[in-house]
Amino acid sequence: MTSPLTSTDISLRVNGEERSATADVRTTLADFLREGLGLTGTHLGCEHGVCGACTVLLDGAAVRSCLLLAVQARGAEVTTVEGLAEGDRLHPVQQAFHDSHAFQCGFCTPGFVMTTVALLAEEPTPSRERIRECLSGNVCRCTGYQSIVDGVALAASRDAG
Amino acid sequence: MKPAPFAYAAPTTEDEVLDLLAEHGDEGKVIAGGQSLLPMLSMRLARPSVLIDLNGVAGLAGITEFDGGVAFGATTRERAAERSALVGDRLPVLAEALPLIGHEAIRNRGTIGGSIAHADASAELPAVAAVTDAQLVLRSRAGGERVLSAAEFFQGHYTTALADDELLTEVRIPGSPPGAGWAFTEVARRHGDFALVGVAAMVVLDDAGSVEAARLCLMGVADVPLRLPAVEASLAGQPVSADTVAAAATDAVAGLELASDVHGSGDFRRHLAEVTVRRALTTAADRAGAPA
Amino acid sequence: MTEVGARAVGASVRRVEDPRILTGRGRYLDDVVLPGMLHAAFLRSYAPHGRLLSVDVAEALELPGVVAVYTGADMQRLTEPGKPGVIAGMDQMPGMALPASYGLAVDKVRHVGDPIALVVAESRYLAEDALELIEVDIEPLEAVVSYADALDPAKPPLFEEVGSNLAFQMELPLGDVDGAFARADRVLTATISVHRHHPNPMETRGIVASWDSAAQKLTLHASTQSPHMLRLLLPPQIGVPMEQIRVLAADVGGGFGLKNSVFREDVAVAAAAKDLGRPVKWVEDRLEHLATGGHAREEKADVELAVTDDGRIIGARLDLVLNVGAYLADPFPGSTMAMAAVMFFQGPMKLEALGAKATSVFSNKATYVSYRGPWATGDFLRERSLDIVARELGLDPVEVRRRNYVVRDESPLAMLTGTPYLGVTTRECLEEAVRLLDVPAFRERQEAARAEGRYLGLGLAAYLEGAPPPKTNGERQADIVGDETTYLAVDERGRVVITTRQQPHGQGHQTTLAQVAADELGVRFTDIDVLWGDTDITPVALIGTGGSRAATMANGSVLHGSRALKAKVLALAAELLEADAGDLELADSTVSVRGTPGIALPLAELARIVATEPERLPDGVDADLRITEVFDGGEGGWSGGVHACVVEVDVETGLVAFERYVVVEDCGLPVNPAIVEGQIRGGVAQAVGAVLLEHAAYDEDGQFVAASFLDYLMPTSTLVPDIEVHHVQTVLNDPDVNFRGVGEGGMIVAPAAITSAIEDALAPFGAQVREQHLPPSRILELVGTVPVR
Repeated sequence: MTSPLTSTDISLRVNGEERSATADVRTTLADFLREGLGLTGTHLGCEHGVCGACTVLLDGAAVRSCLLLAVQARGAEVTTVEGLAEGDRLHPVQQAFHDSHAFQCGFCTPGFVMTTVALLAEEPTPSRERIRECLSGNVCRCTGYQSIVDGVALAASRDAG
Repeated sequence: MKPAPFAYAAPTTEDEVLDLLAEHGDEGKVIAGGQSLLPMLSMRLARPSVLIDLNGVAGLAGITEFDGGVAFGATTRERAAERSALVGDRLPVLAEALPLIGHEAIRNRGTIGGSIAHADASAELPAVAAVTDAQLVLRSRAGGERVLSAAEFFQGHYTTALADDELLTEVRIPGSPPGAGWAFTEVARRHGDFALVGVAAMVVLDDAGSVEAARLCLMGVADVPLRLPAVEASLAGQPVSADTVAAAATDAVAGLELASDVHGSGDFRRHLAEVTVRRALTTAADRAGAPA
Repeated sequence: MTEVGARAVGASVRRVEDPRILTGRGRYLDDVVLPGMLHAAFLRSYAPHGRLLSVDVAEALELPGVVAVYTGADMQRLTEPGKPGVIAGMDQMPGMALPASYGLAVDKVRHVGDPIALVVAESRYLAEDALELIEVDIEPLEAVVSYADALDPAKPPLFEEVGSNLAFQMELPLGDVDGAFARADRVLTATISVHRHHPNPMETRGIVASWDSAAQKLTLHASTQSPHMLRLLLPPQIGVPMEQIRVLAADVGGGFGLKNSVFREDVAVAAAAKDLGRPVKWVEDRLEHLATGGHAREEKADVELAVTDDGRIIGARLDLVLNVGAYLADPFPGSTMAMAAVMFFQGPMKLEALGAKATSVFSNKATYVSYRGPWATGDFLRERSLDIVARELGLDPVEVRRRNYVVRDESPLAMLTGTPYLGVTTRECLEEAVRLLDVPAFRERQEAARAEGRYLGLGLAAYLEGAPPPKTNGERQADIVGDETTYLAVDERGRVVITTRQQPHGQGHQTTLAQVAADELGVRFTDIDVLWGDTDITPVALIGTGGSRAATMANGSVLHGSRALKAKVLALAAELLEADAGDLELADSTVSVRGTPGIALPLAELARIVATEPERLPDGVDADLRITEVFDGGEGGWSGGVHACVVEVDVETGLVAFERYVVVEDCGLPVNPAIVEGQIRGGVAQAVGAVLLEHAAYDEDGQFVAASFLDYLMPTSTLVPDIEVHHVQTVLNDPDVNFRGVGEGGMIVAPAAITSAIEDALAPFGAQVREQHLPPSRILELVGTVPVR
């Protein structure tokens, strides 16, 4: 029978690399990425699953890393905002956000980028209305969203082209 | 805002889960998608000693045909159900409700069984379970298997018939009666929010275009998803008209006792409930083929 | 999307900041990790008001991983109480109460969330575990919650030494008020209110404090709009002199005025770090932030309007009360915003007299902080007043505004306060907005929609934003923030280094200041570095970035500094090239001689010679390529404009949707239009939140009921509409610097435009909108289908 753990080794693939660290089982995936693995690109905006700043991809699907325990991600493939660019070449979504002046303070940005990457993987040419619907789980306090929607639409148009 | 300490178990079989539940009883807490539980852990509103993770349990997720309806393994992700052709085909009310649950990142983790077992009376899936007369399969080491109706299962705010050592393993939603029109309508302040009120409705018409059968379930207005058998019965035999629907909506909210909260007064919520019942019944009747 | 062309200014140059932020390499406060760093968490009061009888930390101290627990008594031992507003001269203002306080509650708790104890532990998880082991005994006192509570002498004063709950009071008579009312055809009255809501940046507050006992230096990493402010305000409280404090701020995740304060938590954490000799990090969580991070905008005013039958407001009396909460923000106590609000009532309106009384009161609520246009309630009162006049006289709100807004170069040429209406283009913006929305066509459409049971409404409002306002008789009024100093230099690599006192937190100054310098210097945009956020190198400033000042002040300072630096570069190059400086030009980072193609001296080569071959420099030549530029704002000027929108109200559910939102504004020459428009849109989005969603609500017992993101609702992408921004550029006030601030305007005016549109939509129900917060529940009350709560 499985005996409950309080602390354990957590091994997973992050941005294509095998990573491993020991953590308390109560550690959220967000805290594990930030503190355990030093990947501070994933931000914590609310820690109760509303703002979307901590969005990462778990086996390709967008999830909120504050609503997962790190121990639940053992053996999984996690992609964070650090894992998108290739060297100095921005990922098409990052490039489109850059070209669109998509964001201001940038604190929410990693969550929007990851949400967009997941959206476009599934729906390469979403309508503007669909983009707004899909982004509505992420809170930005600076932009009023229009520039972010522009960025998503630009990324989609380039992929489509 | 960090969880209090707990121990964590990751069983891989249902038997192991049942053993763990038998051992830890009310000190144990099952986690499936965790989309409601993690915020409660982080706010230290939930403080289990042992967290029993269902995510690695083989065979607990899946969508299958069941006696004309659909059976969901408890850890079936909401997003998987949303994408399921079988759901789209057989369970229109579930298909309409699923996209209203939070946001995609939430539904990528959230599970059908988790939402129902969590029994938030403002949540969509308990209302769907209630309006469809879903059957809920519960298993435990001591009691074996029992199957409860939604009406038996939901008992209050976050309170269900699940015993401390019991696991919800499957949710069986019966198929739709022939010709039924369904609607799931809610009012939320923002897209993806917990709704202020929501209504699941079904209307079946007879050959003359009158109501043969109707179902109504309100969410967000009571401590359980609220079926309204008296209103459902009173609709039977009535012609579909704006007056009929409005009268049913008025009846539906007549007895509600609603508290005020940060979003508005009880009167406000009652008004929204009436509007939403009317809108849901109208849509369901349209979909059942009532003349516009 | 724009590449840098021949001129950088005026182009939407892509931001230099973006690549690091987009790839997760930005550095925000919580990303700071120092060796041996400890983590802090605050125990906060559950009680709105009470005597703190005891705080028992013994059990918490025994928890493994806990390093220290501090209480109010420790703060009394380690620190001196903070005296808010003193550095900004607020103690010189008559009628101002400025009670001092420690970083942690000492003998009383004064609001839900008041910090009582500070746990320092090996991790935030452990620190939170320890919080649960602290035992606190609080004897409840009657809570002071509402305006009426605070003005009731029978209620207990929050601060005994003040003796009442009166925080500030002043009267402001401008012009012949009684005369204006005597000449009025009618007098209209209303009570208008604005609800408590708050900046709520996505990055909460936080600080990492680190004491180096060998160097006797305290280093603070902060999420702040004003690094120097911490350095200026902390010394008397923590007993470390200013010269031993260094403040660092890298990327900051939003501020909106909130982070222009030094907080009690900053004092407590700095004191703890010094006491322990180890770095201590505190990152506020969202629940703390919502309850205690800093609230804003709780005001109500009795308004009396002297109105003529042709729809002019010739005089007004205001009696405004502001609920400032318990502890005052430092250095800008929220209580002073009552005065700012009444002074901005006039805005672009041809008012002849204003009699205002402004009162601020203490209550058992969180600290009132500055929020994007902190005087905005004044604008809201004016624009509501204009709509009240329109409805009373049966005039179109557009027509009433035509009759009341000032016309450029026509009397009056100055506000009642004396500040000139220099370059104010409110009327031009109004007419453009009316044209864009085609108001007559809208009225027809509105009528037809009503017949179908659909309720559309059009609203509009105007504002002025002084950033800084024009001088009055050669002097800038009430400018406590001062001139803008910038250091500019050509470094040893030939790169231009601009060191700014601005503290960007989303405004893109790393990009915009380089745009201005590139054009002025003739240096490639990519050859310019902008440095900020380190008090060891940046010019001192009470405010870093705030008050919509960067556009005029920082760009202006860089513009003039670049000219001075260029002159130095050319003078030195003239010596090296043995040419006349007047024949030289600097372009593409290279000095050349006009008309002599073969001769070119790249800036990098010039810098190399200065650094490594000083013997080549003629004796006595000035080779110090550094400039300290102090800019006073020049002529300054107003930004301003008109916002207009069309909404549809679902009168069954109370939900509001936007059909169109149009901004017509004049901020002079936008350095980077995409950034300017982003500022405007962001402000509008916050206004959408304020009107439809956001309320930092307390119940009547003083409990805080908007304590999570499920109760405090932020605007999201499906609610905020696309916002059309149209620029009007009519007047150049200053011969050189015509970049004017836009940071606050959106949030100042949009609440008035949106409420105006909702009232218009609900006109068939006789709705009178007298408040700013219109959630669905309130809309249904206005419609009349739900009883007033």
